[in-house]
Amino acid sequence: MRVPLSWLREFVDVDLAPEDLAARLTLLGMEVKGIERRGTDWANVVVGELLAVEKHPNADRLSLTRVNMGSGEPLEIVCGATNIAVGQRVPVALPGAVLPGNRRIERTEKMGVVSNGMLCSGDELGLNADADGILILAPETPLGAKLADLYGDVVLDVDVKPNRGDALSILGIAREVAALTGGTVRMPAIEVADTGEPIEGRLTVRVDDERLCPRFVGRWVDGVTVRPSPDWVQMRLLAAGIRPISNVVDASNYVMVELGKPIHTFDAAAVARDGSGRAGIVVRPAAAGERLETLDHVDRALDPEALLIADANGPLGIAGVMGGAASEVSNATPAVIVESAIFDPVSIRRTAFRFALRSEASLRFEKGQEFRLARVGADRTAQLILAWAGGSVARGAVDTHPEEPTPRRVAFRPARVDRLLGTSLGVDAQRAVLERVGIETEVSAGPIGVAIAAGPTPESVPAGAGHAVLATIPTWRRDIEIEADLAEEIARIHGYEEVPPRRPSTQMPAWRETPLAARDALRGALAGAGLTEVVSYALVSARMIEAFAWTVDDRPAAGEAAREGAPVTVTNPLSMDHSILRQSLVGSLVEVVDTNARHGQTDLAIFEVGKGYGRVGDDSREWWRLGLAFAGAMEPPAWNRPRREADIEDAKGAIELVAGLLGSGVPKYTPLGDEPILHPGRSASVESRFADGSLAIAGVVGELHPRLAEAWDLRAHRVVVAELSVAGLAGGSLTPERSVPLPRFQPIERDLTVDVPDRVAAAAVTDAVSAAGGSALEDTTLVGTYRGHPLGPDERSLTFRLRFGAPDRAVGEAEIDAAIGTISDALRENIGARIRS
Amino acid sequence: MELAQLTQDLETLAAETATALAGAPDVASLDALEVDVLGKKGRLTGVLRGIGALPVDDRPKVGAVANRVRAGIEAEIAERRAVLGSAELDARLAAETIDVTMPGRPFRHGSLHPSIESMFEIARIFGQFGFVVHESPEIEDDLTNFQDLNIPPDHPARDLWDTLYVDIPGHLLRTHTSPGQLHVMRTMQPPIRALLPGRCFRYEAIDASHGSEFFQVEGIMVDEGTTMGDLRGLLDEFAHAMFGAGKRTRFRPGYYPFTEPSVAFDVECLVCGGPGCPACGRSGWMTILGAGMIHPVVLRRGGLDPERYQGFAFGMGPERISMLRHRITDLRLFLENDVRFLGQFR
Repeated sequence: MRVPLSWLREFVDVDLAPEDLAARLTLLGMEVKGIERRGTDWANVVVGELLAVEKHPNADRLSLTRVNMGSGEPLEIVCGATNIAVGQRVPVALPGAVLPGNRRIERTEKMGVVSNGMLCSGDELGLNADADGILILAPETPLGAKLADLYGDVVLDVDVKPNRGDALSILGIAREVAALTGGTVRMPAIEVADTGEPIEGRLTVRVDDERLCPRFVGRWVDGVTVRPSPDWVQMRLLAAGIRPISNVVDASNYVMVELGKPIHTFDAAAVARDGSGRAGIVVRPAAAGERLETLDHVDRALDPEALLIADANGPLGIAGVMGGAASEVSNATPAVIVESAIFDPVSIRRTAFRFALRSEASLRFEKGQEFRLARVGADRTAQLILAWAGGSVARGAVDTHPEEPTPRRVAFRPARVDRLLGTSLGVDAQRAVLERVGIETEVSAGPIGVAIAAGPTPESVPAGAGHAVLATIPTWRRDIEIEADLAEEIARIHGYEEVPPRRPSTQMPAWRETPLAARDALRGALAGAGLTEVVSYALVSARMIEAFAWTVDDRPAAGEAAREGAPVTVTNPLSMDHSILRQSLVGSLVEVVDTNARHGQTDLAIFEVGKGYGRVGDDSREWWRLGLAFAGAMEPPAWNRPRREADIEDAKGAIELVAGLLGSGVPKYTPLGDEPILHPGRSASVESRFADGSLAIAGVVGELHPRLAEAWDLRAHRVVVAELSVAGLAGGSLTPERSVPLPRFQPIERDLTVDVPDRVAAAAVTDAVSAAGGSALEDTTLVGTYRGHPLGPDERSLTFRLRFGAPDRAVGEAEIDAAIGTISDALRENIGARIRS
Repeated sequence: MELAQLTQDLETLAAETATALAGAPDVASLDALEVDVLGKKGRLTGVLRGIGALPVDDRPKVGAVANRVRAGIEAEIAERRAVLGSAELDARLAAETIDVTMPGRPFRHGSLHPSIESMFEIARIFGQFGFVVHESPEIEDDLTNFQDLNIPPDHPARDLWDTLYVDIPGHLLRTHTSPGQLHVMRTMQPPIRALLPGRCFRYEAIDASHGSEFFQVEGIMVDEGTTMGDLRGLLDEFAHAMFGAGKRTRFRPGYYPFTEPSVAFDVECLVCGGPGCPACGRSGWMTILGAGMIHPVVLRRGGLDPERYQGFAFGMGPERISMLRHRITDLRLFLENDVRFLGQFR
């Protein structure tokens, strides 16, 4: 809501500097978002009178004018506009003026004639969009006056909250100012000299559904002369952000800004007459198939959800949203119908949304309107049309619901208000505070019901005699319905700064496990290991969903949700790039790798702890996953170190780190082979189990398939990714590590080298060693591999370091030799390995 | 063999050894010299072998001389060894000298995402105040995201949350963490102190201060006597924990359909400290969060008796907190995942 201070001052005295007023309004809940000073760039622009307008001696398209500035010699000014004539008063930018856009005006020569300044258009002054002609001022505008003194203004941009539709008006803001200064609101005298013929002979109004249109007040003005409004009106509307159109339309907009009542005016000649020659207006839902060309010259298909203002021939306008082009007031309009109606807020809101036509008017309608305003607004509009466009106002008004409701009464318990706020204001102080916003109060003499909830499920509680105060709510404050609303009003006017802070002293709740614990530990460990945490969009493109849909079976870790269901699609996406909830993290991570590569950052080790989403029938599913991605150099080259490319073993190392953190077993990798997202020869499923056999980590790891990298135009040469379900991500904490006693006897290490065909996986050899090693074999670690002479072309040798030991005894050489013998036999027999001695 | 001859031999050995010692270039030749002179089969032993030929009375005299000579040689060798050893160590150290001004071998350092880290930091602070963390789904139904929060269908207040709807009937992507208030009230009994962090979604064009996806942290406290004064006191403590002790704060009126009264909570401008600057829109204040006393309708929908229980809720954006703390000026950076940005947070 743009509030020109000059306009506000008509309604209430304001002695505060604009900044102070803004600060105090903000503290009252009317947040001032900005202060605009109009006219600061009109220095050296003054009002002049055209004494002569003659053809320029050397240019056909230019005029040479002589301008009386009120004092001193008249000035000769060259002008290119065609709308000027002798006797007009116009804004003149004198040499030295700096107009909006930092445009400097100097004395210049134009085609051989000296021009001593410039006549200004509204556009050049930043007043309006009219660049075609010079701004013609009213004849009574004082000569020589500075334009800034006449039309300069300070405009506050107030963010009015949705519950305060009443404050979407100069009047409403004035009431707030009065509440904070203790001042009095001055209403303009709203009196209509309705001396014309009785309106009953001119206009009939029928409302088909009173629920959708509880009140319609119609006024009629004959013999109007439609032309531009007085300058001061146009300036005022411009300052308020409304484009001036004509005196009649401006009158309705003026009332909307002034009182908050949207008004529509019709060309009475465009409304069909009944047998008695009366214009007949009907308020009804649209019929299927009806069409209307609206004011913006768009031909719109209507449907029964839209409420219409219509006549016998069809639609005239969409109620509360936009009028029709055919009944628009024009220069030829002889008589005007003023519509000042109350509509169902929900209906208006829905219609405005459906036609994407949310306007200043619909915005006010959908917040609900004070019932009384329908009458007041109609009278005020008729009064202003008469003043600005002449003619005669038909006597009386058509009013479909003249009875106006009495003010609402809301009870509250001052003790309850104090208990809610933590204050000790007491009855009298609370009543005095409410008085400042026009809320009359009386202590209830008898028992009374106190409303504590309104809306679809109202609720009230009884209060004994003398315990409650009955407040009479001004009719414009539609937001105050229950006790808590009055508590807010009291706190707001009294000042939130008066609420004494105290540290909560209520009972401490029982301890609960935080679901963030494991996630936090995991993040810390991975960041500590050199990975960068990323957070990517949950909403992704259909293309990404399709390209990065895992085909491999999902196995959730213990306590984690499964990946299941179809993708969830947003029905009103902002963009197709963010239209479907992702089901995996890997695509997002690949995109992060690519985006960074495009910024020249090619060495990446990243992780994300994020969710996947799905739907099973009409139930939604969400599951946590850990995603990893590596690209470029894991160890970038330095003067003391060669470059080392990231590869799948870095990802596996990170997974093993996570397993270590969780206290689960060494991860087991199984070749995957047939997952289209990953390199068939460089991908594995992975699992790590807790001691009880439940899954601690389950997922996949591997290099991105080159075809996918190509399809996504990836800059990165190779990208290694992993996506894992990790126990604890959805909640739960890490189990405390269980300490084991340190060995009393030194363990003994032996190396064992075995030659195996390539088709035998290292994991299989490790498993075989572990299985055959006996109870003294504590650990089996791969420490080396070798290819080449004397091995065959499809063979490699693997060297394992075996650690033998026992907690309670020294393990002897003979026992170890025997164990190695058993292992060797098993390897020879079961997997065809050759043992090197 | 005569005594005099033997004594002379010993003195000669001492002198020769002294000369040799002086010329020994390094510890190794010193070691060789030591063996040559004092070793089991060394020259001293060789000289003393002549003792047997001396008269018994003379033998102790030679012994005394021999002992003096031996002690002298030993001392000289030790002295010489110390000198040579130190010189050799010096030489080795000199040879081993490197250019210590060269940079080290780089460690990889990771980083934590500022949105999440800010969210976790908020949770840690409120954890100290006894708040427990509760998470709820991001795909919500209209009932929980709006209607049970006192926002009926087609209510103008819905303008505050431009909503993304999904193809599950009646469902949407939660526009705020506030539905978590209901989940908490339905699963916990007062006294309640809970913190509800998580991702939220809005139908909002992305610019420097708006995002379609962002995080929020909601807090809720409900008991029989929880007042607005408690809210202010708690938030003051939070502001001090997050932004520094002694920071001035203020309440001003706000509007949320699910709280009544509603407030905005401001902290003094972290850039200018009060006089007003471009960062705070010249107001001297920065808005941290919105809060209010939970609306009776919401308490009732949460299964609590609004006449018995009262409490407050507050909600804040961890990105906003992070922007204030780290002087980040563009919200888009949080979801762009440019490592040049992320790497600044360790």
